[in-house]
Amino acid sequence: MFKTVYNWIDERLDITPMWRDVADHEVPEHVNPAHHFSAFVYCFGGLTFFITVIQILSGMFLTMYYVPDIINAYASVDYLQHKVAFGGIVRGMHHWGASLVIVMMFLHTLRVFFTGSYKAPREMNWVVGMLIFFIMLGLGFTGYLLPWDNKAYYATKVGIQIAESVPYLGPYIQELLQGGEVVGAQTLTRFFAIHVFFLPGALLAMLGAHFLMIRRQGISGPL
Amino acid sequence: MSESYKAKERVVYVGDSRVRKGNMPNVPADYTSYPGKSEAFIPNFLLKEWMVGCVVLVGFLVLTMAHPAPLGYPADPTNGAFIPMPDWYFLFIYQLLKYPYLSENYVVLGTIGIPGIAFGALLLAPFLDTGKERRFYRRPIASSLMILSLIACVYLTKVSWDHYTHELEKTNTIPEHIEREEKAREAAMAGKERPNYTKQPELPAVVDAGDPATSIIQAQCLSCHGTEYEGRGNIPPLRGVGDKYSKEEIAEIVTNGRGGMPAFGEGKGGNVELSAEEIDQVATWLAKQKAAAE
Amino acid sequence: MSKHEQREQTHNTVKRKEMSRRQFLSYTLGGATAFMAGGAVLPMIRFAVDPILTKKSEGTYVKVVEESKITTEPQEFKFQIHQVDGWYESDPQLSAWISKDESGEIFALSPVCKHLGCTISWNTQNNNQYFCPCHEARYTKDGKNLAVAPNPLDEYEVEVRDGFVYLGPVKGNTRVE
Repeated sequence: MFKTVYNWIDERLDITPMWRDVADHEVPEHVNPAHHFSAFVYCFGGLTFFITVIQILSGMFLTMYYVPDIINAYASVDYLQHKVAFGGIVRGMHHWGASLVIVMMFLHTLRVFFTGSYKAPREMNWVVGMLIFFIMLGLGFTGYLLPWDNKAYYATKVGIQIAESVPYLGPYIQELLQGGEVVGAQTLTRFFAIHVFFLPGALLAMLGAHFLMIRRQGISGPL
Repeated sequence: MSESYKAKERVVYVGDSRVRKGNMPNVPADYTSYPGKSEAFIPNFLLKEWMVGCVVLVGFLVLTMAHPAPLGYPADPTNGAFIPMPDWYFLFIYQLLKYPYLSENYVVLGTIGIPGIAFGALLLAPFLDTGKERRFYRRPIASSLMILSLIACVYLTKVSWDHYTHELEKTNTIPEHIEREEKAREAAMAGKERPNYTKQPELPAVVDAGDPATSIIQAQCLSCHGTEYEGRGNIPPLRGVGDKYSKEEIAEIVTNGRGGMPAFGEGKGGNVELSAEEIDQVATWLAKQKAAAE
Repeated sequence: MSKHEQREQTHNTVKRKEMSRRQFLSYTLGGATAFMAGGAVLPMIRFAVDPILTKKSEGTYVKVVEESKITTEPQEFKFQIHQVDGWYESDPQLSAWISKDESGEIFALSPVCKHLGCTISWNTQNNNQYFCPCHEARYTKDGKNLAVAPNPLDEYEVEVRDGFVYLGPVKGNTRVE
């Protein structure tokens, strides 16, 4: 049954080469932790992606209950964490996952740096990787405003103050981030939109570019 | 004409398009040309990677179950007692901004200057470190700069965290999310409903508002306890305080301080010292603050 | 292809029922994938379907009107219920068409048209029928559907205590066969 459907599609679109290219490409020994235990450092990239997938999924599920509104945001987070089954777990996954992504990405970056894998011809992939790093930090920053508790409020205030100190453009950046004259209702909806739509969109595009380039260029050779 | 010449002349296109097939010089070497045992990505290699993934996932789930995600009290712009802390991965910048030459008139240097140079250099690393050598011990400049910045980040984060914990100890503050959980646990043990911070409880009215003791209270207490005696964030309201404590208990709290509240007693080291008589007046008045019997 | 697999293929000219190494690895990989996907996604799914698994709160009865005010002619009465909708608590107003039948039994009909959910009212066409302005659905006094609507009007649970009519949760119509 599955085979017939697959063959039917394959006849028309020739999809086999697409996934065979990914599935069958050979992975050299020097990145294989089964052959050299020290090669586990090459796992951090994959783990970053795995945690990112968890982040995207748990985030999607959290928005089923969350409202980005200064009156209800806190109440809805409180509700989903304590009244909904597994709410504590799902929010916990999103909260701790955010930290874990940063840790994994940090280790991945260090691995790439110290193995010199960013050198020609892979310069572009390094730059894209750093952009992913910045996007992740942006996601972290916009994310912790959302529960609208004291930490959210004050940390965001400080963050926006930092943005304001940029010469000339500062006040404009500040108002753009705040959406109004104070950190309040309009800031929350703005951060929500950035956290849920803009940055993840950019992140997916960058991840796609990152993977495409890896596939194109292959993993850097042994040292 | 020989065959080889013709072959050289023949133009190869990509698929059925008119795009010429390029001759990329940087297509990576086939891995069978590397020494050692290479293996297929799926299933051989991915299985190994996902064994690691499973271990990470289990650890991650244990972490989420052991430590619920923190949530403090609802945002309150008037709360002056709250010590704001960003997430751990921003602490190094947070700490950086406290140093002279990176704050006050030079704040631009701290917010954009140094982080800009550091992150800009990181972003452009492949164009700054252009040598062919990949081993880190043969690239002393790049490696040592990276190691130095790593040490700096770890140091700044640690200093910042130590300062925070010290600050908490000094002001005797329990971080909100921990206190909130404690209270929820206490309520659950007592079989009561979890305290709800989104619904503000109706505060009892102020009893005997014209009493002379209120002038002392207005001068000393209300800057923290709220101008309407309504409390502020963590700081409890004074309205209805008589239901919680007796007069003696109130006098004791005012004299010696408690939690984040300073001591007001004579010789207790507070900034303001009230005489025993004044404290007695205050405590008498506060003990009268009870919810009106229905 | 690795040397190992090549060797295996040349050896495998005689078909054996045993699992090949590649198959074994594929199944293990499938298992690992299922474990990871399940571990990550199952809590989220339980989280998402929670509304259908939580116990519905028992319907409470709300005092609506004095018994003496009910006539055989249906009248509309408004009443408020306390509604807890997740983190949002409110007191929305509902209405009911309450009347007595020939035997003096009080019943209350929900004003929600069973066609597409508009609001019906009594006797707007002067024909002693409930009428829905959206698609001209009509119902008898008992709520029996006469035109357009596929089902009779829903009823509220009714309780009469101490001379007052109390209304409870909505149920299917019991007055029409």
